[in-house]
Amino acid sequence: MEQAENILFTAAMAGYFLAIILNFVFIGLKKERAAKIAAWAQGAGLVLHTAALVIRGIAAGRVPMTNQYEFATCFAWALCLVSLVFIRKYRFSVLGVFAVPVVFLIMGYAAMQNREVRPLMAALQSNWLVFHVTTAILAYGSFGVSCVLGTIFLIRNRMKENGFLDQHIPASDKLDIIEYRSVCLGLLFLTITIITGAFWAQKCWGSYWSWDPKETWSLVTWIIYALYLHLRIMRGWKGKAAAIFAVVGFICVIFTYLGVNTFLPGLHSYA
Amino acid sequence: MKVLKKIRKIIGSMPFAIGVLVALAAACALSSLVTQGQTAEWYTQEYGERMGAVILALHADDAYHSWWFLTLTGFLCLSLILCNLIRVKTLIRRSKNEKGNRAGIWGAWVCHLGILLLVSGFALGQMTQEEYTIYGLPGQTKELGETGVRVQIEDFAIEWREDGSAGQYTAKLTAEDAQGKSESGTASVNHPASLLGYEFYQNSAGWAADLTVVKNGTEIQKETLCVGEFTPLADDPEIVILFRDFYPNYDAESGNASPMASTKPDKPGYLYMVFYQGEVRGMNVLETGDEITIDQEYTVTFSDPSNYTLLMVKRDRFTPLALLGAAVTMAGLVMAFYLRKR
Repeated sequence: MEQAENILFTAAMAGYFLAIILNFVFIGLKKERAAKIAAWAQGAGLVLHTAALVIRGIAAGRVPMTNQYEFATCFAWALCLVSLVFIRKYRFSVLGVFAVPVVFLIMGYAAMQNREVRPLMAALQSNWLVFHVTTAILAYGSFGVSCVLGTIFLIRNRMKENGFLDQHIPASDKLDIIEYRSVCLGLLFLTITIITGAFWAQKCWGSYWSWDPKETWSLVTWIIYALYLHLRIMRGWKGKAAAIFAVVGFICVIFTYLGVNTFLPGLHSYA
Repeated sequence: MKVLKKIRKIIGSMPFAIGVLVALAAACALSSLVTQGQTAEWYTQEYGERMGAVILALHADDAYHSWWFLTLTGFLCLSLILCNLIRVKTLIRRSKNEKGNRAGIWGAWVCHLGILLLVSGFALGQMTQEEYTIYGLPGQTKELGETGVRVQIEDFAIEWREDGSAGQYTAKLTAEDAQGKSESGTASVNHPASLLGYEFYQNSAGWAADLTVVKNGTEIQKETLCVGEFTPLADDPEIVILFRDFYPNYDAESGNASPMASTKPDKPGYLYMVFYQGEVRGMNVLETGDEITIDQEYTVTFSDPSNYTLLMVKRDRFTPLALLGAAVTMAGLVMAFYLRKR
């Protein structure tokens, strides 16, 4: 089982790497066909990645979402999934050019973590784990996509006219709307994450909010994206300002995920 | 009246709400960098005299209960209340004019209401909740503070896995109030017991061991001590023995010890301290079969390690309000994002 998981994990990384190469061919050599094949390679990587996760779940006898390795690989999976959905929905192949390297980097980080399958500690043996962590992964994936979209927006803003890219990157206002929708999706999932976490903490620790660093930074992240929405809707912060906000928000997400685990140990130290 | 109107206008305004949100985010982020709930001496030692003094002066050692944090939260609530009050008329008007699905218009309003309920439930819960910690071994009975409730620990078991780690902790409990009404239940991790209106959470476990004192070949004292507990010798109360710590797998040669409660005691080590008239007279780790000899008269041994349960007992009548607030917030977000006409 462990060997099968390793093979699938490596094959998934290879799929993502191929997608990165093809995306560069698409951008560098202006080969449209390369973008289509890149999307397929990304899709194939996602299928292999899903299979690796399923096999790990079967081997562990639980959902594979409980330690640094598992969360990182699930995070990469969600980012890949959300970006593929957006690529298909908005016919926006350039999104893959920016999203897949991030997926690959997170997979690289996951590969450096301890992959040993260990039985769950008593506190983690709860059905809430599935809801709480799945929504967190989807929230992080959505915010990751909004960050990529914000970056594309900022690059596009600084770019001189380029017929090829203009043809493949949506107009600024459309880009802005897609970014807004991915933030909405992320915020919705983050809210569910925080609420399901509170329900679970109530059952497990007897306190639905303990100001644990992970809880606190999730709240900080939530406030940042709430500010994004308020400034956007009520003060008209769209375009460049919103794009910068999406990038800053994702830095906060990354700190909540990695920084808190590294520098601020607390009740979530196993995550 | 004019002043009040002006204040209401300022607090109900968007820039004020944004300012409060930014301040709250910054306060939360900075406070998370400071270890909470330590003693004054700890902050001076950890952060230096000047920084320690600043932390204490700003109440950053208990930031989330400090006056400035509570003031910020109060401003957030005021801002949400005024914002919702100011907007309600406009929203009713818009709802009347809107054709088709009107729910989306109310999304942000409902979300604000949910946050208000959530914060109110949390704040009221913090102010009124009862919280107790009890620990004990099977067979022991503990008082629940001044409530008159007595808790009998009927049984406590740890489910050990093959790798030596603990899979689950389960305590069987019976609670009886002053009027003689009693209820029984089982508390395990993630499955609290609800007895006499209190929630019993299986929070942690620790080690206990039997202490035996022998004088001139005759056993004069035997009792069970939990880690951290001490007892004076029955024969000479000026001699006190503290059961300082327990190591389930102690390696005497290397001195390596695993102090985890969730490890089977394959090779127990008992760390003790002996005091005489308050002064430390000895300290060491005993293994099974080892003994301490005091004044060439008393022989002390530790044996039969067992686990005690540590339970957190709570009564928070406002938890349902906070959870309702969470559900309303969620509903508001869904309405705002996905039921709104674009």
